[in-house]
Amino acid sequence: MAAGELEGGKPLSWLLNALAQDTFHGYPGITEELLRSQLYPEVPPEEFRPFLAKMRGILKSIASADMDFNQLEAFLTAQTKKQGGITSDQAAVISKFWKSHKTKIRESLMNQSRWNSGLRGLSWRVDGKSQSRHSAQIHTPVAIIELELGKYGQESEFLCLEFDEVKVNQILKTLSEVEESISTLISQPN
Amino acid sequence: MGFPCYVRPMRQAARGRTWKRKRWSGGVLSSPGRKSQTLPMEASSEPPLDAKSDVTNQLVDFQWKLGMAVSSDTCRSLKYPYVAVMLKVADHSGQVKTKCFEMTIPQFQNFYRQFKEIAAVIETV
Repeated sequence: MAAGELEGGKPLSWLLNALAQDTFHGYPGITEELLRSQLYPEVPPEEFRPFLAKMRGILKSIASADMDFNQLEAFLTAQTKKQGGITSDQAAVISKFWKSHKTKIRESLMNQSRWNSGLRGLSWRVDGKSQSRHSAQIHTPVAIIELELGKYGQESEFLCLEFDEVKVNQILKTLSEVEESISTLISQPN
Repeated sequence: MGFPCYVRPMRQAARGRTWKRKRWSGGVLSSPGRKSQTLPMEASSEPPLDAKSDVTNQLVDFQWKLGMAVSSDTCRSLKYPYVAVMLKVADHSGQVKTKCFEMTIPQFQNFYRQFKEIAAVIETV
């Protein structure tokens, strides 16, 4: 009877969502007891625990291998055939879940594996020429750029830089070299 | 690390300067920002404050590398290229600090696009 409770459908879909939030997106406070009581209240804890571990393991395997849809189907079919595996209903729910959440999960995995700061934002301003009645000095135009940087799970820090026109063009030249490298990398067969 | 928070001297910027501001966040260009404006010159009895020099840094060096993340303990199949940047920046006292960060390829392309826009604007001012 309990096994029937653990079939696919909405509870499994929500469970996978919660597992993804916990495992990949770092959402705090998602405990086994919370999931069981909210999604599978009729299932005793000693049955729910291995079921949860199995679903988490399957989700992690799929995400770790970054499976495309062919690989996914082959993997899930194999899971339905093995002892203590999953039902075909459950396989269908998992398949649907991965197809709609793959991009977001992959993005989280990429963020988690980046240990340097990432670039979260950029804003800029150009200050133009100005004069004062009391000073003959004329300011040359400057660009003020604010970079928002931050490590995974940490608050942003802001770096403010000032560039004159010469410097802006020097940076542009450097960035065009970067772009050339990227084009070379992308065009290489692997 | 302790970089000071940047306080935008909006009132200073308004005095006799033209400015154009755009905000980009996370690879998506968000609100268009304010349009360029030229405000009338104001006579001032004091020398204009250069607030920027206390809160902004000068770029001393820009180094970069293009890397490819292949695999990690949490994901066996990462397979994504990234641009890693190391900046050397000098504050108003001349002290030089290093700042490192990474960008995905789409983030880099937006970064490059923003610099092209800055160059276009600074040329016309």
